[in-house]
Amino acid sequence: MPEDAPLIAGHPTFGDITDQISGITERRTPPVWYLALGAAVSLLMVLVGSVGYLVWEGVGIWGLNNPVGWGWAIINFVWWVGIGHAGTLISAILFLLRQRWRTSINRFAEAMTLFAISCALIFPAIHVGRIWVVYWMFPVPNQMGMWPNFRSPLLWDVFAVSTYFTASLLFWYTGLIPDLATFRDRAVKKIKKYIFGALALGWRGGNRQWRHYELAYLILAGISTPLVLSVHSVVSTDFAVSILPGWHTTIFPPYFVAGAIFSGFAMVVTLTIVARKIFSLENIITVNHLEKMTKVILLTGSMVGYAYGMEFFIAWYSGNIYEQFVFINRAFGQYAWAYWIMIGCNVIVPQLFWFRKLRTSITVMFLASILINIGMWFERFVIVVTSLAQDFLPASWDYYKPTIWDISTFVGSFGLFFTLFLLFIRFLPMISMTEVKAVLPEADPHNYRHGDRHE
Amino acid sequence: MSDKVKNEYKKYWRSIEQLADNPEYRQKLLSPYHANQEEQDSGLSRRNFLTLMSASFALASLAGCRRPVEKIIPYVAQPEEITPGLGQYYATTMPFGTSAIGILVHTREGRPIKIEGNPDHPSSQGATDFITQASLLNLYDPDRSKKVRHRGTEDSFDNFISFWREQMTLFAADKGRGLAVLSETFSSPTLNRYRNEFIRTFPQAKWVCWEPFSDENIFRAVDRIAGQGLRPLYHFDRAEVILALDSDFLLYESDAVSAARGFAKGRRVLTTDDRMNRLYVVESNFTVTGAMADHRLRLKSRRVGNLVMALGTELKKLGLNIDGIPETSSTVCGEKWLSALAHDLVSNRGKSLIVAGHRQPPPVHEMVIKLNEALGNIGATLTFRKRHETAVPNSEALNHLATAMNDGDIETLIILGGNPVYNTPANLKFNEALTGIKNSVHLSSHVDETSQLSAWHIPRAHYLESWGDAVSSEGTYSVIQPMIEPLFGGYSDVEIFAFLATGLDKPGYDIVRDTWKNLLPDGDFEKKWRQVLHDGLYKSTPLSDEKVSIKNTAISPDDIANTDNEMEINFYLSSLYDGRFANNGWLQELPEAITRLTWDNAALISPATAKRLRLKNQEMVKIEYKEHTLEIPVWICPGNADNTIALPLGYGRTGSGRIGNGAGFNTYLLRTGDCHYFGSGAKISKTNKIYELANTQDHNRMEGRPIIREATLEEYRRSPNFAKEMVEHPPLKSLYPDHDYSKGYQWGMVIDLNTCMGCNACTLACQSENNIQIVGKEQVQKGRELHWLRNDRYFIGDIDAPKIVYQPVPCQQCENAPCEQVCPVAATVHDSEGLNNMTYNRCIGTRYCSNNCPYKVRRFNFFNYINKLTEIEKMAQNPDVSMRSRGVMEKCTFCIQRIKTVKTRARLENRAVTDGEIKTACQQVCPTQAIQFGNINDPASRVARLKKTDRNYELLAEYNVRPRNSYLAKLRNPNPRLKDYKDETG
Repeated sequence: MPEDAPLIAGHPTFGDITDQISGITERRTPPVWYLALGAAVSLLMVLVGSVGYLVWEGVGIWGLNNPVGWGWAIINFVWWVGIGHAGTLISAILFLLRQRWRTSINRFAEAMTLFAISCALIFPAIHVGRIWVVYWMFPVPNQMGMWPNFRSPLLWDVFAVSTYFTASLLFWYTGLIPDLATFRDRAVKKIKKYIFGALALGWRGGNRQWRHYELAYLILAGISTPLVLSVHSVVSTDFAVSILPGWHTTIFPPYFVAGAIFSGFAMVVTLTIVARKIFSLENIITVNHLEKMTKVILLTGSMVGYAYGMEFFIAWYSGNIYEQFVFINRAFGQYAWAYWIMIGCNVIVPQLFWFRKLRTSITVMFLASILINIGMWFERFVIVVTSLAQDFLPASWDYYKPTIWDISTFVGSFGLFFTLFLLFIRFLPMISMTEVKAVLPEADPHNYRHGDRHE
Repeated sequence: MSDKVKNEYKKYWRSIEQLADNPEYRQKLLSPYHANQEEQDSGLSRRNFLTLMSASFALASLAGCRRPVEKIIPYVAQPEEITPGLGQYYATTMPFGTSAIGILVHTREGRPIKIEGNPDHPSSQGATDFITQASLLNLYDPDRSKKVRHRGTEDSFDNFISFWREQMTLFAADKGRGLAVLSETFSSPTLNRYRNEFIRTFPQAKWVCWEPFSDENIFRAVDRIAGQGLRPLYHFDRAEVILALDSDFLLYESDAVSAARGFAKGRRVLTTDDRMNRLYVVESNFTVTGAMADHRLRLKSRRVGNLVMALGTELKKLGLNIDGIPETSSTVCGEKWLSALAHDLVSNRGKSLIVAGHRQPPPVHEMVIKLNEALGNIGATLTFRKRHETAVPNSEALNHLATAMNDGDIETLIILGGNPVYNTPANLKFNEALTGIKNSVHLSSHVDETSQLSAWHIPRAHYLESWGDAVSSEGTYSVIQPMIEPLFGGYSDVEIFAFLATGLDKPGYDIVRDTWKNLLPDGDFEKKWRQVLHDGLYKSTPLSDEKVSIKNTAISPDDIANTDNEMEINFYLSSLYDGRFANNGWLQELPEAITRLTWDNAALISPATAKRLRLKNQEMVKIEYKEHTLEIPVWICPGNADNTIALPLGYGRTGSGRIGNGAGFNTYLLRTGDCHYFGSGAKISKTNKIYELANTQDHNRMEGRPIIREATLEEYRRSPNFAKEMVEHPPLKSLYPDHDYSKGYQWGMVIDLNTCMGCNACTLACQSENNIQIVGKEQVQKGRELHWLRNDRYFIGDIDAPKIVYQPVPCQQCENAPCEQVCPVAATVHDSEGLNNMTYNRCIGTRYCSNNCPYKVRRFNFFNYINKLTEIEKMAQNPDVSMRSRGVMEKCTFCIQRIKTVKTRARLENRAVTDGEIKTACQQVCPTQAIQFGNINDPASRVARLKKTDRNYELLAEYNVRPRNSYLAKLRNPNPRLKDYKDETG
C-alpha cells in the first residue's frame, strides 16, 4: 500500500529520532516553559481555592437551583471525559486498524486523555452535597452491609470512568516502557538514571521482551477498544436512563461517543499544533497527520449534526408534548443562544474540512479545533441545563445562571490539565520514539519505498 | 409576673436545681479523680460519658423546662403526665382582632411545637389559616423584647409598678383627665372587665381602640341599620349563590377559616348528582376568593358602591321590594352580566348571600344588608349575633386622640399592643404627637417603632405564654392558657390590663379565673373550670341569632357613587397581615397567594396599566398621593383592575427585628385618614431603577398541558370522566418487577382541586411540622426555597380577564419512583407501605433524584441552613423530624412521623389504625378539607373512596410513575345565562 508522502519527513535515522525527542527533555529548560508552568500552576491554585471554598461552604456557591440540580460541574465532567476519548481511540482502535500515522501523536494524545480524565474525575467528586462521604458510591464493605444502588447510572459512571482511566493509564505506561529505558540509558545524572531505571521495569530490548511487549500491547489495545465506546455510552446513560424530556433519548450512547471523539480529536489538534511549533516537531508531526485528524473531525462532526437533527425528528414523531416542547424550546427558548452556539461550532465549523485547502491550513484547523471544543461544551450545557430548567410542570421552571465559582472551578481545571501536561512534556517523551522508529523506512525490512514489496 | 408566681416557679423546680447544683454531684463531675484509673486511661469511657451526658441532660432540662406553674389540662387522655418522646395537645385560643380562633397546641417536653385547629371550636373546626400556623414562630422570635425599658435604658417592672401607682394617685384627682389609652381591639371577657373598671376609675380618660385593618365599617353599618352591638355571621354553607364584593372572605376577612369550611361544604362535588354553589366575585385586586370565582369582575374598589346601586336597580326591575337604595343608570359592568347575576340571585331567594369586604365604606354595607333582606337571606344565610365583650375599633376616636395629643391635652398615654407609629394614617403624624407626650407607655413584644418613641416599654408575652380569654365571632367563650412560661419574661395582656385598672399586680391565672367565676353558671365551679381548660372553650355557651329589623336608613348616592377616572390606590393585607408578623421568617418566605412574591411587597398594577405607563416588572416607581410619596417596585398582576395600584401593607418595618427590618417597602407612608382602604388621584412616575424581587414561580401558564384539569359543572355532568380522558397513553409497563402493594397499610392521598383555594395554610403547616428552614431572599431568588409542599398557581385564559387555578404539589410518593432508581447510594428507597422514603444520613447529595423527579418536589440543602437557627428558634423544631444538614436532599414524607406514632399506638392497643386517625399536617390544617389521606388498601377508607370517583386523576400518570397522590379535577359552575360570555372588566 503505497503512501502519498512519508509519515515522517526529512528521512531521519533512528538516532535522529532518539536525539530529537529525548533532547526535548535533556536540554536546559526553556524560559517559556517556566512561564507556561507558572500560568498553569496559577490556574491550578484557582482550582484548589475554588474547591476549598466549595468544601467549606457547600455547593450553594454555584448557580444551581431547584429544577437545575446539575450545572457546570456535570457539564465540565462530560466535556473533559469526552476530550479524554481521543487518546485511547488513537492508541487502541487505530492500532488495531493498523493506522500507522497514529505513531506520531498517540503518546501525546494518550497523555492528554489521562489528564483530561483526571480533570473530569474532579467534578463528580466535588459536585455532591456531602463531599466527605463521596466514597459511599464505591462498593466498600461497611458495617451497615450497604451496597450502592446498582440501578443508578451514576454508579455505572463510577465503574466506567475508573475502568477507563485505569486501562488508559496502563496502556500509556506500557507504551512508555521502551522509551523510558532509552531515557535511562541516556541519563547522565545518577538520580535520573535511578528513577527511569525503576520506571523502565528492567527493559533491555531483547527479542523475548519485544515479543512479550508487543503481545501485551496488542491485548491492552483489545481491552481498551470496547472501553473507548463504553465509557461515553455509560456517561450518556446518566441522562438517557432518566425520564426527563431531552435526556430520555435512545440515541444518546452513539451520539455521545461520536461527540466525544469529535471533541477529543479537536483537543489533540489544538495541543499538537502548539507543541509541534514550540518543539519544532514539524518533521515528525506533519501536516499529513493533522489532515488525517481533521478528516476524523469532519466524520464525527457530521455524525453529531445528524444526531441533533434526529433528536428533533424523534421528538416530533413521538407525539409526546413534553418531548416536543423541550426541543423547540432549545432552539427558540430562553437558552436559544447556547443552542445556536452549539450548532454553529459543532455542525457548521467542521464542514470547512470538506476542502483540502482548509484541511491543510494550520490556522484554520487551530481555530476550528478551538471552536469545536467550545461548541462541545455548549452541547453539554444545552443537554444538561435546558432539559432541567423547563421540564414537566411549568410552575417549577427556573433560569440557571453560573456564579463566579462555577467559572473559576472550570477555568481552574485547565490549570490542572496544563500543569500535568507541561510536566509531561518536560520529563517524559512526548512522542513515542519506539513507534515512530517503527514507521521509518529503516524499520521495514522489505524497504518498500525503494524496492519490491512482498505481500 | 408576680412575686408569688416567681416563688412558686422556683419551688416547683427545686429538686432539679438541687440535682444540678448539688455540690457533691458537681464535685464528682469535675473531679479528675472520681473515676478509676482504667477509665482515666481510656479517655472518655462509657461510664464517664454517661455521667457527663446525664449531667448535661439535667442542666439542659433545667434551661428547657419552662412549663407554666398553674394547672392546665391536656386535651388527650393521660392528664398531668408527660411521657418523654410523646406529644401532648392542649387546647387554647389565639385572639385576633375582634375574633378568635380555637386551637390545639402540640407540645413536646413542655415546648409548643405545632398549632392545630381545635375540632370542637366552631371558629376553627379543626383547621387554621396560615397566620395562626406561623404565630408559633413568633413565640421563639429571638428579637422579642426581654426587659422593661424606660427612656431607652433597661429598667425593672417594679419601677413601672411604682410609676403607675404614682400616676394613679395623680390622675385620681381629676378622674383621669389627661390620661389616654390606645389599645388593640379585642373580644375578651377579662380585658373588657378591666377596661370597664379602668373607665369607671378614670371616667375622664380616653380609651381608644384601633387597628389598621378592622371590621369597623361593617360594625358601623350594622349598628346603624340593624341595631347596636351586633355583628353579621355569614352561613356560606347554606348559600347556593354567593356574591362577594371586594371581599376576600376565604382568606383575609374575619373568620375566614369557618367561612372557607362553610363555602367548601357547598362546593364539594363527588358525583354528577351533587349540587355546587356558584360564586360571583367583584374585586379590584386578585384574591384567592377571586381565584375561586365562577364569575369574576375586576372593578376598582371605589366603584363597588356603584355596582351595588346598579344591582339594586336591576333587582327592583325583577320585582324585588328594596327601599333606600339610590337608583342609578350608570353601569359599571356589562348589562348582560348584571342581569344574569340578578336573575341568579332572585331565583335563589333565601339561598343566596351577598357579602361586602371590610374595606368597603359603611353605606355599601348598609345597601348589601338591604339587598340581602330583600332576597330573603336574613335569618337564612345571613344572621346577626351579639358582639360579646368586644372593643370596637374607632378611627374617629383615633383622630381625636391624635388631635388631643398635639394640643397637649394628653399627659400620659398608654399604648396596649399595636404599633401606631408605624401603622396609623400618615396624616396624623403619630410619631411627632407621641414624642410630645410626657409619659408614654407601650406594651409590645418587640422594641418596635412605637416603643422606641415611648417613655416606657413593657415586654408583652406571646399568647402561648399567657392566660387570657376571648370570644370568637359566633359567640363562643374560649380560654387562653399558657403552654410555656414566658420565654423572655413578658407580661400578659390580662396582667397589664388588671394592673392598669386596679394598681394591683396579680397573676394572670387568678385574673382569668375570677372573670370566669362570674361567667360560668353557678355550682361546682372547679369542675366546670377544669372542663373549660380541657376543652379550651365553654362548650355550653348559648349561641343564638339576634332577631333584627332592618331600618330604612337613607343613603345618599354622593357617598358612594364614583365615576372619575383618576388612578386608584388601594391597600390590602399581605402575608405579614398588617405588619405585626414582619419578623416571622415563615411568613416572609411564604409565597404570596397571587404574586408568589416573598420577602418584599410591590405595587400591583394590571398588564394594561403597565402597558399604558410603559412599566416593566420590578421597575421602581414613585407613587405620589396628596403630599405623600413612596418609591416601590411594580409587579404586573393580570386580573387586577386597570388604573389601580394595589399596595400590600406590613412591609418596610424598621423596628421589627433582624428578619423584618428592611424587607419590602412601607406603604403606610401613603395611607391617610381619607384614604384608609382606597382613594383616588394617585400619581405614578418612573424612576428608571430596577429592584429585584424574589418570586417563587417564574412561569405562570400551563402551556396547554393537562396539569390542572378543569371543566364546568355542565361539561362534567355530560362526560364525568373528562379528567382521565384528557391524556391518552400506551399500556404502562415497567422494566423492573413491581413491588407488592396488596398487603398491609398502603398510604395514599387525594387533593380536591375543586375545594382547594390556594390559601397556603398547607405549606406553612408542613413547614412547622417538618422543621423546614427558611433560606432568605437571596436564596429564594436563586430558586432554592425549601417548602416541601408548594402551591402551584397558574393563570388561565385571557390576560385581561384571567382565571387562577391552584394545585398543591407535595411529593407524589410514586410507586414506581424515578428518584429511587437513580440514587447511587440508595438513600431514597421504597417501604412496604408504598412510601418513598428519604434516608437523610445516607444521602450524599448528587441531586440526581431531584433531576429525575417529574414533579420537582425534592428540595436540596445547598448550604447549612440550620446553622442560622438561634438557640431559641431550635426550641420550635419538631423533635420527631430529623434536622437536615447541608448537602442533603429532603422532601415530603407524608408526615411519616405521624404515621409511625399512630401505628405504634394502634399496635400497643392491639388494633388496626382506623381511617382518619392519621392526619398529615397539610390535611389537618386545610380549612376546606381538600386534602385527604389514608389507607388505599381499605376500600372503605375515605381516600380509597375518593380515588374511585370519576374526577380522580394522577398527574403525569402517562410516565408510569404511579403516584400515590392523586387529584380531583377542578370544576367551575358558570351561570348558563353567561355561556361563552367573557367576564368583563369594570
